[in-house]
Amino acid sequence: MAGATQTNLITGDTSQTNAVAAGAVALAALLFALSLAALFEIVTISDPVAGVPIVTLLGLILVTLGGSVIVFGVGSYLDYVETQPSPSAGLVAAAVFSGVWFTVGGLVASQTFGLSGLAWLSVALLTGAGAFALTALPPEDIGSTLPAGALTLLTGLVFVTGTIGPAWVWELRFEQQASFTAEFVIPTATLLAALLSGWAAAKAYGGFGARGRHMGAYVLIYLNASSIVGVLFVLVAFTTTKGIPGLLTGAELGSGPDVTLFGITFGLPFSVPFVMNGVALLNDFQGVLPAIVGTIWLVIGAVLFAVPLGVGAAIFLTEYAERGRLTQAVEVATNGLWSTPSIVFGLFGFAFLIPRFGGNKSLISGMLTLSFMLLPLVLITSREAILAVPDEYRDASAALGVSKWQTIRSVVIPAALPGVVTGVILGVGRIAGETAPILLTMTGGTFIPGGQTVDVIGGFRFTATPPFVANPELLQATTALPFQLYALVRAGVGLGDNVTNPEQFQWATALILLVVVLSFYAVGICARYYFRRRLKHE
Amino acid sequence: MSETTQTTEQTGIESDQPLETTSGETEEQVREKWREYKFDGRTKLAVEDLDVHYGDDHALKGVSIEIPENSVTALIGPSGCGKSTFLRCLNRMNDRIRSARIDGSVRLDGQEIYQEGVNLVELRKRVGMVFQSPNPFPKSIRENIAYGPEKHGDINTGLLARLLGRADEESREQLVERCLRDAALWDEVKDRLGDNALGLSGGQQQRLCIARCLSVDPEVILMDEPASALDPIATAKIEDLIEELSEEYTVVIVTHNMQQAARISDQTAVFLTGGELVEYGNTDQVFEDPQSERVEDYITGKFG
Repeated sequence: MAGATQTNLITGDTSQTNAVAAGAVALAALLFALSLAALFEIVTISDPVAGVPIVTLLGLILVTLGGSVIVFGVGSYLDYVETQPSPSAGLVAAAVFSGVWFTVGGLVASQTFGLSGLAWLSVALLTGAGAFALTALPPEDIGSTLPAGALTLLTGLVFVTGTIGPAWVWELRFEQQASFTAEFVIPTATLLAALLSGWAAAKAYGGFGARGRHMGAYVLIYLNASSIVGVLFVLVAFTTTKGIPGLLTGAELGSGPDVTLFGITFGLPFSVPFVMNGVALLNDFQGVLPAIVGTIWLVIGAVLFAVPLGVGAAIFLTEYAERGRLTQAVEVATNGLWSTPSIVFGLFGFAFLIPRFGGNKSLISGMLTLSFMLLPLVLITSREAILAVPDEYRDASAALGVSKWQTIRSVVIPAALPGVVTGVILGVGRIAGETAPILLTMTGGTFIPGGQTVDVIGGFRFTATPPFVANPELLQATTALPFQLYALVRAGVGLGDNVTNPEQFQWATALILLVVVLSFYAVGICARYYFRRRLKHE
Repeated sequence: MSETTQTTEQTGIESDQPLETTSGETEEQVREKWREYKFDGRTKLAVEDLDVHYGDDHALKGVSIEIPENSVTALIGPSGCGKSTFLRCLNRMNDRIRSARIDGSVRLDGQEIYQEGVNLVELRKRVGMVFQSPNPFPKSIRENIAYGPEKHGDINTGLLARLLGRADEESREQLVERCLRDAALWDEVKDRLGDNALGLSGGQQQRLCIARCLSVDPEVILMDEPASALDPIATAKIEDLIEELSEEYTVVIVTHNMQQAARISDQTAVFLTGGELVEYGNTDQVFEDPQSERVEDYITGKFG
């Protein structure tokens, strides 16, 4: 090795070996992404790439990765590579590896060689103990690379030789006829091997020791975090690709319907029938406009009911009430309410609210039911936000002789608003997609003609008798996106012949639901950003 | 080292036996002497036999003191000796602590503030307070100053007033300028009155807090270690400011910094561990010729 003049601070010429280790880490990340993609069926493992099936390709990469990890570990042990390994890889790593190898040994012994009972158990125990000893006893460079590298190598060889190929099925021989198919087993095994080898390669890249452990943990955490983002991305992309065709059915530029906003009527320059029509016999294209409007009004109504109540209760509990039985009771009740299943809220609305609002399912019963669900979260988060306002503000205000209520109104609430808004965002995210409560309290027919789209603002009427205001629209059954989706998937009723492709229609509904919920998120996040800005710079 | 140990021991048995003093008198005699301490000027605050308990903790023991008008009175003493508690009694900020129990009498211009029917709003307008760490509201500089008068209805800038054309924009601007000038901050912030106050430096924030305190026209300003979180330059500015303020206002200041007390105060009161007021008098006299041995030890740095 060229770095003979190395000091403690500056390591010598290790750039080549570092590059090898970094390449191994990159390979592991690639495998991780590939196996996730295969798990979500974005790529099919039997598809050939350049004439080679993907499963063979996966196997080849795994063999390369496992081999390079082992070579690096052994090279470090034999001092061909300069590293600072600890005396042992540690008990946690040893326990993990022994668990993995116990499973592998047991499965191979019982399934491949058909050993029975004690025989396969002893084989499994033997491999598990062997992996434990191999990890814990030798220095870190051997202990953390060999078990991971060997596992990866083995997995890769199994894939390359076709022992487990695309057509492979593992019958579990349960009564339920359950089986593991290659589509599931291959990506999962690859994922596991990539994680372990990636960790080992990252340790090697860091030269083992403290820095190596840091790199290993970094890679694990990074892969986890990115897989969360990846899952979200896959979910949104999946729904979007499936939903776009249905959404754009009949969409065209140039000849939009007339829209009346604040008394001004104007023609839209485009037309997307799916979000602008209801369902009617004579429509060229069917749409979900009533459900969209219903969902939006539902959320607005629930927020209008729940936020003043929740914030008011939070102010009382934090600023006025003495800590005692009452506040504890409220706390327990709040937490209980938050964990109450939504169908119970629905039943409550069905049995309690509906008889009090005319006996029919109605928009207002749905709003109230959802506001009861939203209430505890708004209360909990508002309490936290108000408690987090520094006492110095309250002291400063009191020292100026300003009364408590004015202090709360002008200092405490503005400072707590970003936190309150965060709570409302989270709560809206939950209630906007809730199906069970509105199924029981609000939704009438699944498909509503566009002309019956709920018009809350236009529905207000003044009457000669108390209560002087009436709104028949609020007392009418309507529909909402989650319910409509449920009805479409569950029953598929009512579409008739006008929808040529019901599946597209369903996916488009799902996409619109996603878009509506994410729009509420966006509005909430903008509001929070605005209030935070006002608090920090003006 | 041995002296320190001895002093600590003395402190431990102090409550039972009178201690020796520099002049050979008992501490009780010394106390009688300074109780009759006469200063020039009118008494602004008169405190008599003030006892404060936090739950079972006896934080202040029988404190009696008279504070003269238009002067700076420094309260010094080691941590936990009750200086801040005493200060917070003077505008009844201790009422905000639920476990606090206060006995005794505090009179502002001869009026008892611990009696039924005291208007706390009026009291706190007359006795303002500046806290240890700068605590401006997360609002603009202008709003910070105008906050008190607006809430008291002295100036109207609300939406309704603006719509009705009754807004006192001009008097608000004048108020903001006057307070900021009095707090020696005007020149630094006059171009950015609309900026958030949290963007100011620590020293500027503390002067802003003083300006905010001045906005409600107090007679007494209580300061709880106003410079302890600031660098020496900011501290010097605050000290200059306090000396200027003492021409119009009665300033009571708690400080850990004995040089600061010696520099800016007219009277000094020394509290020692246990919540007792041990010595009170003219600042020069307290620092140069303390009557009590414990005070001398504290001031010369042997204790506390």
